[in-house]
Amino acid sequence: MSVASAPDLAVDVDGVVKRFKDITALDGATLRVRRGEVYGLLGPNGAGKTTLIRSLVGLVAPDAGSITVLGQRMPQLDVLGRVGYMTQQAALYPDLSVEENLRFFGAIMGATDGVREALELVDLWDRRHSVVGTLSGGMRTRCSLACALVNKPDLLLLDEPTVGVDPQLRIQLWDRFQAMAKTGTTIIVSSHVMDEAERADRLGLIRFGKLLAEGTVAELKQQAGVDRLEDAFLKLSERGAR
Amino acid sequence: MSLRRVGALTRRILQQFRRDRRTLALLFIAPLVILALLGYLLRGGGTVPKMGVVNLDGGPLGSVVASSLESSKLVSASAMSAQDAESRLQSGTIAGYLLLPSDFSALAQQARLIAPEIHLEGSQPGLSQTIVQAVNQSLTSLAAQAGGVRFQPRVVYRYGGPSFDTLDYFGAAFIGLVVFFLVFVITAVAFLRERAQGTLERLMASPLRRPEIVVGYMLGFTVLALIQAIEVLAFCLLVLHVHNAGNVALIFLMEALMAIFAVNLGIFLSMFARTEFQAVQFIPLVIVPQMLLSGVIFPVSTEPGPLQVLSNVLPLTYAVDGMRTIMIKGADLGWSQLQLDLGVVAGFCLLVILAGATTLRRQVA
Repeated sequence: MSVASAPDLAVDVDGVVKRFKDITALDGATLRVRRGEVYGLLGPNGAGKTTLIRSLVGLVAPDAGSITVLGQRMPQLDVLGRVGYMTQQAALYPDLSVEENLRFFGAIMGATDGVREALELVDLWDRRHSVVGTLSGGMRTRCSLACALVNKPDLLLLDEPTVGVDPQLRIQLWDRFQAMAKTGTTIIVSSHVMDEAERADRLGLIRFGKLLAEGTVAELKQQAGVDRLEDAFLKLSERGAR
Repeated sequence: MSLRRVGALTRRILQQFRRDRRTLALLFIAPLVILALLGYLLRGGGTVPKMGVVNLDGGPLGSVVASSLESSKLVSASAMSAQDAESRLQSGTIAGYLLLPSDFSALAQQARLIAPEIHLEGSQPGLSQTIVQAVNQSLTSLAAQAGGVRFQPRVVYRYGGPSFDTLDYFGAAFIGLVVFFLVFVITAVAFLRERAQGTLERLMASPLRRPEIVVGYMLGFTVLALIQAIEVLAFCLLVLHVHNAGNVALIFLMEALMAIFAVNLGIFLSMFARTEFQAVQFIPLVIVPQMLLSGVIFPVSTEPGPLQVLSNVLPLTYAVDGMRTIMIKGADLGWSQLQLDLGVVAGFCLLVILAGATTLRRQVA
């Protein structure tokens, strides 16, 4: 049985707790992301960003709390066909070509086309016949992103997608993310790079497995009473730690 | 050469093993387990081959040979009628029998000729050899009493025969084992690689069901395994000329079942390994004991009792028996022995498929 949450929410995480032995990765995390929004999940290493994203796709079973994705109470497998998930490290088959990887993930996700569109989006259409094992790190990242886009997802989860991507392409990718959001795709991007986080519609500061603060860039700066997002982040995290 | 640098390397290796308790345990426990098993197999007071003695001799010498054989420590011989012996040989409850013809004493006394018949089941060379040896011993004691006689035993093989060499006996078993072994290792490592390169995480974040992953993997690797099985079979039959009395399609069926079993065992066991290194460790733990106990080298019927119990629950025992039943005995699907072998191996296939599908975890942590 899936329980519908507010229809305008793409993601509704409510009080999720996840412990790994003696480490509490998520400590009552609550997150609400509206449809068509680009949401930046900001936090230092080990803050719980990856665990939170993994819990959205059922890779982490929460010890407490509830998760609703695209109106479906998780865990629910079929809704995953409408979600694109890009892992932190490029997860690809090195012995397959770029195109073969995309076709495979497309088939798994239930997509019939979209290979060309996804590859053109990340500028890899010309390299579609290259075997992934021979690609540079940045190209692999792009290929991995294309795999997450191949099913034209309603919800796109990107775990630090621009690590190892050159600045030019990074700007280009963010333009694409924003364009996709305009067509109704919800995007959740985790990052610890402040300048790219500023391009998100809203930001959530996560630390110690909790969402410490949330809002637009301007709102966060105002909350912290500082001019730079980086300072706001530091100040708000200190407050949360206390 | 810098001692410091060399020392750093040496220390690092030992440090790594300290954290990998499992490898460490394997390094020190596996050899003891394997050697203890071998020791028990060879010295554990295994049971001797069973044989019959059919004494039709009208004279006194037949019973001398018979009683000498019945007291032999090499075999467990018991007197029986010719009809009984033949039916037991067919069902495999005895590995052979000695037939002392009605003119045995007469020939020995008048023509100085000792001419018994040795009937052997013949599908397991180890058993046949032991029986011939035991018969020879009992006849030697007779020859010593009579003096100056000629031996002329007639050996009758039910299966196989004097034209069989070692490869004919072992080839049948190895055709299946080679496929099983290689397919197991390749699948286990491939599935682990899926985990290590992060693609399994991606698959688990998709609508894919766990049984779909297991069945998809099974089919993919089975295609490869079957091509390998055809190659191995063709090489053994056409190049090595391993004796085959059975239907090639049946051999292939048994090989295919073994391949499917190996694929799914590989998937299932890879869930219990974190690294490819740990997957390879399953070889001494899973493969070697099965090699020793499945009857490839040592006949199951002569193992010590407790090991026989173990052998009889191992899938490879049935696979090896099935291959020999087809290739040496020429069995077809009407044989109940082959039905059992195929049924058990197929049952194990189903078991590991289910085990793999239920053990595969969606959660990464």
